[in-house]
Amino acid sequence: MTSALSAAFAIAKKDILSQLRKRFEIFAMFLFALISVLAFAFAMGGQVPPEIGSALLWVIIFLTGMFGFAPIFISETETGTLKGLSVAPIPAWSVYLGKVIYGFVLMGIVEIFLIPICMILLSFSFSANIFLVLGTFIIGTLDFAAVGAMASALTMPSESKSTVFPIVYFPTATSALILLVELTRGLAIGPGLIPLGFLFQIIIAHLVAMITISAAIFSYALTS
Amino acid sequence: MQDPFLKLMRKIFPRRELITGFGFPKLQCTTVQQIEVTHLSEIIIEAKELTRRYGYRVALKKISFAFTAGGVHGLFGSNGAGKTTLMRIISTLLRPQSGSITVFGFDPEEDFIEIKKRIGLIGDKPLLYPELTGRENLEFYCKLYGIDKETMDNGIETLSRRFGVFKWLDEPTKILSTGLRKRFDIIRCVIHSPELFLLDEPFAGLDKEATDIFKDYINEHRSTKTVVLTTHNLRLGKDFCDDYLTLRKAEIVAQGPISEFDEEM
Repeated sequence: MTSALSAAFAIAKKDILSQLRKRFEIFAMFLFALISVLAFAFAMGGQVPPEIGSALLWVIIFLTGMFGFAPIFISETETGTLKGLSVAPIPAWSVYLGKVIYGFVLMGIVEIFLIPICMILLSFSFSANIFLVLGTFIIGTLDFAAVGAMASALTMPSESKSTVFPIVYFPTATSALILLVELTRGLAIGPGLIPLGFLFQIIIAHLVAMITISAAIFSYALTS
Repeated sequence: MQDPFLKLMRKIFPRRELITGFGFPKLQCTTVQQIEVTHLSEIIIEAKELTRRYGYRVALKKISFAFTAGGVHGLFGSNGAGKTTLMRIISTLLRPQSGSITVFGFDPEEDFIEIKKRIGLIGDKPLLYPELTGRENLEFYCKLYGIDKETMDNGIETLSRRFGVFKWLDEPTKILSTGLRKRFDIIRCVIHSPELFLLDEPFAGLDKEATDIFKDYINEHRSTKTVVLTTHNLRLGKDFCDDYLTLRKAEIVAQGPISEFDEEM
């Protein structure tokens, strides 16, 4: 168990190091996020109602994630290094977990810049507890990373990867997106009919379900 | 430390499959005793009626063979004969559609981690990350194999000096030549001291110096480790292997000691 977890962290560290050196995906993600925020800010005159702002913020994160999550496994197949992970004496779920951690860190780096820019340009602020706000972004980003890593793994054998990835990623991540928009709206303007704690529990349950199901079926993606 | 029960079993049943065959519980955990038991087994890879298809194309058709522990086993055949498919099945990367295979007495479907611990694989492409340096690549694989830092540092230094890549250790592998990348890939394959080397065209892309170094390395270990080698270079295969197995159109057409090898087959 310990060695599988340390292998997962080694995989994540290796991917982060590679990404920081080539900077391709992170640059594309950051640029897309920035242009999206600027476009919305200009279109809406800098005054965005919080209920729309929360949706815009998560839609930008959701779409930005595609640039980072899609190549998670595709780059391994292109370099042929997936075979190295496949023959290593580690359980398949630790490879998956390593990729989820990498996806989370990658998206997290972008969000560190994106969220303050959104708050300034879209005049968006949170009235709720800062820990609940942080927890929402951490869980939400982890959820997207979990779905994105699995979608990337399932896309590997396909010849038309760029078509297959959104087909897998969109429907699976949309349920989390709707929950996150509702939760963030509540964090900005106060809870609606559904208590925020309950929404937070549902999004945690979604994350646990995604990671568990993906980790369980991931070995089939690694072996033919 | 030897288990007295296992000691007794070793005397009564010199082959592991006989031990399990008599209904004794199958050993699952990784213990020193278990590794000793697998060493006792003469047969290290045993395939029965192995079949693998890719769509309608048959890559392996009901092949049966056994490789004994130690020595170099050559796997010969023309392109598309099924050599790489067989290597992928042995290394647990591919599942056969029918038939069975055991590696070190383990079933690849169930005990794949036990098999993976004991194998080192070299394929057509070096399994290296282009953005990382040679050292970072090797350290990464060492971590996956659970090698401690001291052993890892010693192994990287010793092997990189031996294979002539020491001065390129801290260069990103993307700037290295194909031959240098291949040398790093060989180090990656051997650094965890596997019991079984699966070498798919290992000398392709290597210059004479690197080929000789690697051949010397294999020769040093051929009595204690098992090597399965595929090559199109039949002269090299004939000089280097102890026995052979020739595949043609997904079937075994010849096998036996290398002294009986006929290039015309």
